[in-house]
Amino acid sequence: MTAFAEFLPYILSGMVWTLGLVAGGVGIGFVIGLFMAIGQIYGGNEVKAIIHAYVWFFRSIPLLVLLFLFYWGVFPATGFKLDPLACSIVVLGLRSGAYQSQIFRGGIMSLGDTQLLAARALGMSQMRGIFHVVLPQALRISMPGWSNEYATMIKDSSITFALGVLEILTRTRYVVNATHEPLIPYFFAGGLFLVLTYAGTKAVNIVYERTKIPGLVGRL
Amino acid sequence: MTETNVVLKVEGLQKSFAGNKILDGVSFEIDRGQIKVICGPSGSGKSTLLRCLNLLTMPDKGRVWLEGREITNEESNANSVRQRIGFVFQEFNLFNHLTALKNVSIALEIVKKMGKDEAKALALKELEKVNLANDAHKYPAELSGGQKQRVAIARALAMNPVIMFYDEPTSALDPHLIGEVLDVMKKLAQEKLTSIVVTHEIGFARTVADEIMFMGEGRILEHGPPSQIIENPKHEVVRQFFRRINELYRRDE
Repeated sequence: MTAFAEFLPYILSGMVWTLGLVAGGVGIGFVIGLFMAIGQIYGGNEVKAIIHAYVWFFRSIPLLVLLFLFYWGVFPATGFKLDPLACSIVVLGLRSGAYQSQIFRGGIMSLGDTQLLAARALGMSQMRGIFHVVLPQALRISMPGWSNEYATMIKDSSITFALGVLEILTRTRYVVNATHEPLIPYFFAGGLFLVLTYAGTKAVNIVYERTKIPGLVGRL
Repeated sequence: MTETNVVLKVEGLQKSFAGNKILDGVSFEIDRGQIKVICGPSGSGKSTLLRCLNLLTMPDKGRVWLEGREITNEESNANSVRQRIGFVFQEFNLFNHLTALKNVSIALEIVKKMGKDEAKALALKELEKVNLANDAHKYPAELSGGQKQRVAIARALAMNPVIMFYDEPTSALDPHLIGEVLDVMKKLAQEKLTSIVVTHEIGFARTVADEIMFMGEGRILEHGPPSQIIENPKHEVVRQFFRRINELYRRDE
């Protein structure tokens, strides 16, 4: 039990790293995903083809393979020196962008083209129409589906253990190695992930309910 | 173009979709204060005509002038052309994430660069005109079809257009809601707001329109004063069309 008191704060502080990975990954993925969704719907054929290839690439390759590919391959080969944490955030973000783009794309498509048509009939440019009319609605509609992406990201972030990023799992593993006591540390780590997933999903739901507008309903 | 009262002039407009000729040489002009009603069977090109006239769809051939300036040449800017043409859709197309008030004010702020307060005040005034000042805070989902269409009219009016296009504005409404929308349109017609109305509301056409243009097969088959077109048309197609509509009307009464 004395060991427990020692390793608990150490594992607990891994939460900060995990949350950093998630916030960075989801954030980068949000920006990439949004632009790609817009490009995939309103862009020309070349733009659509490039985005399609991007989405296909990042959704088809296991995350662990992507992490190794970028950390040992792509970044060194292109002269970028990224530490494991930064590399992990970028890879999580690039990959999440592929998934998020499809969530937002679904949201935009569910609006149909009449909203943009009405905006254009008032003299708004296409960009303004997308920004002021299409996206505010599409993002709200996408929110329930988007909360899944957050939950997935929390869980996927533990794979960065393979690069030695000091998130929850990596720290737990160190503790297990030192104490030769696997049950309680892994249980504890699992519990932390459970709390993070639950709290985050709940938070998104609260925001969704607060910003809800009659007639604009999203679906999971 | 000399100094005239012509608001919109159309010459030889053509449009095809996937090899189908939808518009096959449409020409007409409309003077300031005039109300023209376009009738015709579905598929005759009425909606496409309106969309070509405000450049939501680019015509293949033909020219259009708005207040004497050509809008179908390369120098014209479609966004600024559309600011001056009010467009009312069959399905209302209100912005679902905005209140009635915001629906009316958003283009004033974004397109006309008006200040927030000024835009809000003007939007409220326009909503008053369509008897909806008390519902300004409601979202589209909380409004009836007739109310939605009146908000849509207010939204178009707020931009202070030189001409209004209505694309079957009452076709998506329950029968008991049509009257409130037509009343607003009649009031605007009395104020001499130049308008082109695609509609099958013969009563409205008879009392409000200066002219009916009957479209068939992508052309204007016949045009003239409402009484002449409705009661004494030259073409058999037109005669048949109004006979059927008149029968429908009598059944309603």
